[in-house]
Amino acid sequence: MAEIPFPLPDLGEGLIEATVLEWLVAEGDQVERNQPLVEVETTKSALELPSPQSGKVLKVHGAPGDVIKVGDPLVVFEVPDDTAGIVGTVPREEAPKRRVRLSANLDDD
Amino acid sequence: MPDTLTTPDAGTTEATTAPLELSLQGALNLALDEILAENPKALVLGEDVGTLGGVFRVTSGLAAKHGSERVFDTPLAESGILGMSIGLAMAGFHPIPEVQFDGFAYPAVNQIVCQLARMNYRSRGTLPMPVTLRVPSFGGIRAPEHHGESLEALFAHVPGLKVVSPSDPQQGYSLLRAAARMADPVIFMEPKSRYWQKGQVTPEGGAPSSKLSGARIARPGRHLTLVAWGAMVARCLQVAELAAEDGIDVEVLDLRWLKPIDGDALAASVGKTRRAVVVHEAPRTSGLGAEVAQVITERCFGTLKAPVERVTGFDVPYPSGDLEDEYIPNIDRILFGIQRVLEYKRG
Repeated sequence: MAEIPFPLPDLGEGLIEATVLEWLVAEGDQVERNQPLVEVETTKSALELPSPQSGKVLKVHGAPGDVIKVGDPLVVFEVPDDTAGIVGTVPREEAPKRRVRLSANLDDD
Repeated sequence: MPDTLTTPDAGTTEATTAPLELSLQGALNLALDEILAENPKALVLGEDVGTLGGVFRVTSGLAAKHGSERVFDTPLAESGILGMSIGLAMAGFHPIPEVQFDGFAYPAVNQIVCQLARMNYRSRGTLPMPVTLRVPSFGGIRAPEHHGESLEALFAHVPGLKVVSPSDPQQGYSLLRAAARMADPVIFMEPKSRYWQKGQVTPEGGAPSSKLSGARIARPGRHLTLVAWGAMVARCLQVAELAAEDGIDVEVLDLRWLKPIDGDALAASVGKTRRAVVVHEAPRTSGLGAEVAQVITERCFGTLKAPVERVTGFDVPYPSGDLEDEYIPNIDRILFGIQRVLEYKRG
């Protein structure tokens, strides 16, 4: 298994930190890409941060009320080694399907 | 370009190590690990190949084992990755750079075409370029734009480059070991849709384990030759099984080396079957299938039962994931191609 850290991203407009309001996932949860992870509040607004990837939440940093700086650890994901960091999806091996049938006269072969 | 590889084949040598069950990722990782251990001049560099271990885990653990001076991350600048590799080769190193995805190779084309491919010629042999450029290639993983392209014809057209694409874990391991021993630059196209496929891999155990130049017969057959490389080899093997249900005995030729092309292997196979279909993911026009078809025609014109058929991608930019299955040659399109050849009538 591989551990992938997710630091607090740059939330834009010169914001340098955010306050944790409420965790929407817990350590040990399996999350999907784009699933809301946490509600945070900046000096501009409150917002939900979507998960950048699927995986198991290994660790969450900061209790409600704690201030996290941009770039500091927010979540650590655990993902299987063979899918860590992948762009796209692992193709499924499927039994071959066909509609076309072959016919030939091979008498002179 | 000489038609033979700079590394002599060892012939079929008795393997000294037991086979391992590995994915293509694992097989390539093992090959890189052994290359780094055996060759102190070998270096692995690219985006995320160090700390992360590569987006496809191919370089996983190599930085920790061989040191971050020999396996290192680069900035997001493909021209820089290749430029650095060229300079390192001039200084006597054997770099193995990675361009993270096929479509990211375009910013490095100037370095590859104008410097890497020519330095040996320009210097009259005093500055060989033993660089193996790994490029995760072709489509099939539902990835965004620039992550599913087939650049073999682009690079095969450039004098001074060799181009190779493995089709399974054993080929990945063996061909990467072979490429890294060459004095010429090699573009090593890894079929990313096959990274997770497992297979038996017999390590070299100190000696090259089998014939590594030219093509190989992946499945023998009598009636028709399917020519493919990379991920299309596995699909053609499926097609061959289905064709057998209809009484058609299909030979699958895994071309492996896309530059230089193994004309002797093509002639031997099609000389026997007298029918050929070339399959590739790349767009049709000026694709490598045209070159393969012409080599076959030159060598087998008198015995061919039908013109060489091509089953390819389309002349459009590689589509988004939702349309990928419509673009990449599927089983039915390949079977149609076979049927067209089977029912061809002269005149």
